[in-house]
Amino acid sequence: MNAFSKSASARNDPAKTAPPFSGKRFGAWLDRRIPPSARINLSQANIFIFPTRSGFAFAGLLLMLILGAINYQNSLVYGTAFLLGSMFVITILYTFRNLSGLSIEMAERHSGFVGEHIEFSVRVERPKGRGREGIQIGWPNGYKQWVEIYDTQASVVSLYVTAERRGWLHPGRMLVETYFPLGLLRAWTWVDINARGLVYPKPLFSDSPQSHSSKHRDEGVLIDPLGSDDFVDLRGYVPGDPIRNILWRSYARSDELVVKRYASYQEPRLWFDFDQLSGDVEEKLSRLTGFALTATRSEQEFGLRLPQKEIAPGLGQLHLDQVLRELALYGHSEAEQPNNG
Amino acid sequence: MAEKPITPGKNAPQVGMAYQIPRNSLALLMISQVVVILPLAVYITPWIIGVGLFSGYWRTQVYRGRWGYPAGWVKAVLVFAGVFGIALSGYGTFSLEAATSLLVLAFALKLLEMKTRRDAYLIIFLSYFLIATAFLFDQAITMAAYQVLAAVIITAAMVGMNQLQSRVRPLASIKLAAALIFQALPLTLVLFLLFPRIAPLWSIPMPSSSTTGISDTIKPGDVANLTMSNELAFRVVFEDEVPPARELYWRGLVYSEFDQGTWTVGRPLPPKATPPAAVGPGIGYEVFLEPTQAEWLFSLDTPVDYGPRLKMLGDYRLINPESILSVKRYRLVSDPQYTQDPQLHGLLERRETRLPDEDNPRIREYAKALLADTGSPTAMVEAMLAQIRNRDYVYTLQPPTLNNENSIDEFWFDTRRGFCSHYAGAMVFALRAADIPARMVGGYQGGEVNPRTGHVEVRQYLAHAWVEVWIESAGWTRVDPTAAVAPARVENGLNAALSGEDRAALSFLTNARLGEGDLLSNALQFFDSVEHRWNFWVVGYDAASQSSVLQKLLGEVTPARIGLALAIGGGVSMFLVALTLFWRRRPTQRNPAERKFFKFASAMARQGYARAPDETPAAYLHRLAVKAELDPQPMVQRLQSFMYDPQASLSEVERRQMRQDFRKLRFRLAFSTPGKAS
Repeated sequence: MNAFSKSASARNDPAKTAPPFSGKRFGAWLDRRIPPSARINLSQANIFIFPTRSGFAFAGLLLMLILGAINYQNSLVYGTAFLLGSMFVITILYTFRNLSGLSIEMAERHSGFVGEHIEFSVRVERPKGRGREGIQIGWPNGYKQWVEIYDTQASVVSLYVTAERRGWLHPGRMLVETYFPLGLLRAWTWVDINARGLVYPKPLFSDSPQSHSSKHRDEGVLIDPLGSDDFVDLRGYVPGDPIRNILWRSYARSDELVVKRYASYQEPRLWFDFDQLSGDVEEKLSRLTGFALTATRSEQEFGLRLPQKEIAPGLGQLHLDQVLRELALYGHSEAEQPNNG
Repeated sequence: MAEKPITPGKNAPQVGMAYQIPRNSLALLMISQVVVILPLAVYITPWIIGVGLFSGYWRTQVYRGRWGYPAGWVKAVLVFAGVFGIALSGYGTFSLEAATSLLVLAFALKLLEMKTRRDAYLIIFLSYFLIATAFLFDQAITMAAYQVLAAVIITAAMVGMNQLQSRVRPLASIKLAAALIFQALPLTLVLFLLFPRIAPLWSIPMPSSSTTGISDTIKPGDVANLTMSNELAFRVVFEDEVPPARELYWRGLVYSEFDQGTWTVGRPLPPKATPPAAVGPGIGYEVFLEPTQAEWLFSLDTPVDYGPRLKMLGDYRLINPESILSVKRYRLVSDPQYTQDPQLHGLLERRETRLPDEDNPRIREYAKALLADTGSPTAMVEAMLAQIRNRDYVYTLQPPTLNNENSIDEFWFDTRRGFCSHYAGAMVFALRAADIPARMVGGYQGGEVNPRTGHVEVRQYLAHAWVEVWIESAGWTRVDPTAAVAPARVENGLNAALSGEDRAALSFLTNARLGEGDLLSNALQFFDSVEHRWNFWVVGYDAASQSSVLQKLLGEVTPARIGLALAIGGGVSMFLVALTLFWRRRPTQRNPAERKFFKFASAMARQGYARAPDETPAAYLHRLAVKAELDPQPMVQRLQSFMYDPQASLSEVERRQMRQDFRKLRFRLAFSTPGKAS
């Protein structure tokens, strides 16, 4: 039920077009009228319809025709005006029907970085019967897309919303509109289908990850005590030890078989530490993001240390996702975490 | 990715990139331009047609991707050419033709710079406007049908702009547009019937085209030209019997001034304050006057009852407050027994006896001598008629040319060949020369009854001129010298009076109308009756006929009742459309085998073997088969394979087998009692 506060936070950015429900009262009214829901069915309860500018111009034309008919006492000019007027009235039904019965739901959620267009897949389904045409959907700070469900029963539309800040992106209420069939009327609705996408900080690739990470050999992890990289110590021969490790000089002196022991250490593991970076919070997060991406690309294991949280070193997409998620949500309160999925 | 975020509710359905009018609606727009301008072509300056064709061609080239949009100076030249053409055309600055020409010019030029969605809508709205404009010039039923088609094309262009964008489907646009217009018809009808018709609000530009039919001056030869035309002048519906043709003298104009061989109406006499009081029983009739672009109306004898907006002038002719631009419908009651001006006051007497000073000396002398001879105006009129009848005067539509100076002398004494206005003119001149008040009246004489609808048609070839002479105590009295020279013209219509030579000069269609009983004249009568009904119900549906129709429909015409009727009529017509849009036929989900089974089950239920609610079809059939002591296995198997595999159910042989199963069961169980099984 906090859909409105989400859209209100989106409007804080003055660069964005304010959605028409930016008024608090209207937003609250809209929330009561069309409550947010994962799947919304369009009906007379939530479809609005009003003449467009062309519609008002058309009404002006009708008025002129009626005046002409009166002044010229011409029945067929009356007839023309009435025919066009009736057509206008009938298209109310057509335009309304074009949206009525559609069901709209979130299909797939994606994530991206600040400055990118985050993809949202929206599924639109229509009831059986005549196909629907000329329907567009879109978010106020995205781009409208045509929904092609004339021949098919359902269609998945990819919408892109520009990500401006890290954290959860709530595009807010989505516009569903149609001008079909004559463009004189517009039927529309604003639906909240609980759409949200995760926005990661904008990555900064200015410097290499190593230079700012703690990198000490002794912090390495022994991965193979019988490795061959580094000499560790000497001990008495146990059958099975490799013969080439036997210290023959010592055997010559003491008649005792002694073997040299070696061990293998992992490549130095990377720790990306928030506190060791300079700059403001967002800059630090951006650089950490850059490190994480670079490290993943060069297949280096890395861990993340944030003031409140630590992620053990790891590698792979899942690990990266986890790291990026932490970076994206750094400093955000738990309340803003998604409450469902 | 496009650059501009959307502004919800403001911008048109378009995605980022520069807007392009969908190609199919662009094509439809260009077609509709031609379709809309075509019927106007005869009324507007030909220059405009040229400019329009040029712009249309240019736009087509742009459409095909061959040319670019024209440069600014090209458009400037086109605008200049168009305005220059209109200025040269000679239409008045504020005439309807000039206004229409300008409108068409703007329309044609707008096409050249049609790029945005707004441009396209402007073109569309202008097209609708031009449809209405064409109705100002012509309201025939054929025109209406044509313009409905034009409206479909324009609407299709508008549909195309808002339809599915991924595919070009011009046919779908046209189909939807046709459906929209068709579904709009009931509501249109309701509005047409009920929307209150009110009087004109302000004066308007008139078509500057010259008047058609009788004009307010009669030169020698005018009426003969009219006689060549078979165009309709007006139709009349008599409330009772149609009077005989010889009594149908349709007065339209009264010519009181003569100069240089030309009769003119002169300064109109002041209108009468009240209608004349009826003396005898009146003749009630309704006239549907075709547009004349003039104010005068046609009536029989003396109208004693006419609409409040009509004016009666001092010479008893009726005047409409505006020029008649579309079919004018008016009801009159005429009284043939009414005496016009039993007393003639001096001013009027001077007016109706005035002649130019010098011309036509022979007939002046002749008239004075004749009056002295006969002694009274009545006798003088009789003498003149007798002379026409007995001397070798000839009625012909092709008289020899007369010179203007002494044309009446020349006609009366020398050529003696002429038609109605020659005879009437000579007679009025002679009477006036003898100081007897007389005037020439122009209008139509006669009329043909259309047997299909019973109305009387008066066509231009019935144009006629006759004489009214003022006789002491009898007032203005009608005298028709044409009846003396060609009695058949008045008794039996024009056809009977025409010589073979005259008839050869008439058009094919006029001859066809004058003919009787053949296929062509029958067909013409049929079309005329259609047109009459169209005029009666649609074109002539005005305030007066609306109030009488509403009286019949609603009983009493009050705003509340009209509002209620509008609400009911509008509601019903909207409901009909909503029904077609929203009512979905329940899809036939049952396959043929299922249908068969359910029919069988309900038949069995009537026999007492109802299916239990929780019983599957298979279990039910099994139970019945056991009851009927038949092997249930093959039956159940067949039923199941049919019901759950619809494809199999299409096999005719198997279906027949199943039907046999059912029949067998019904037959067997018909003679056993249901028992506990049901």
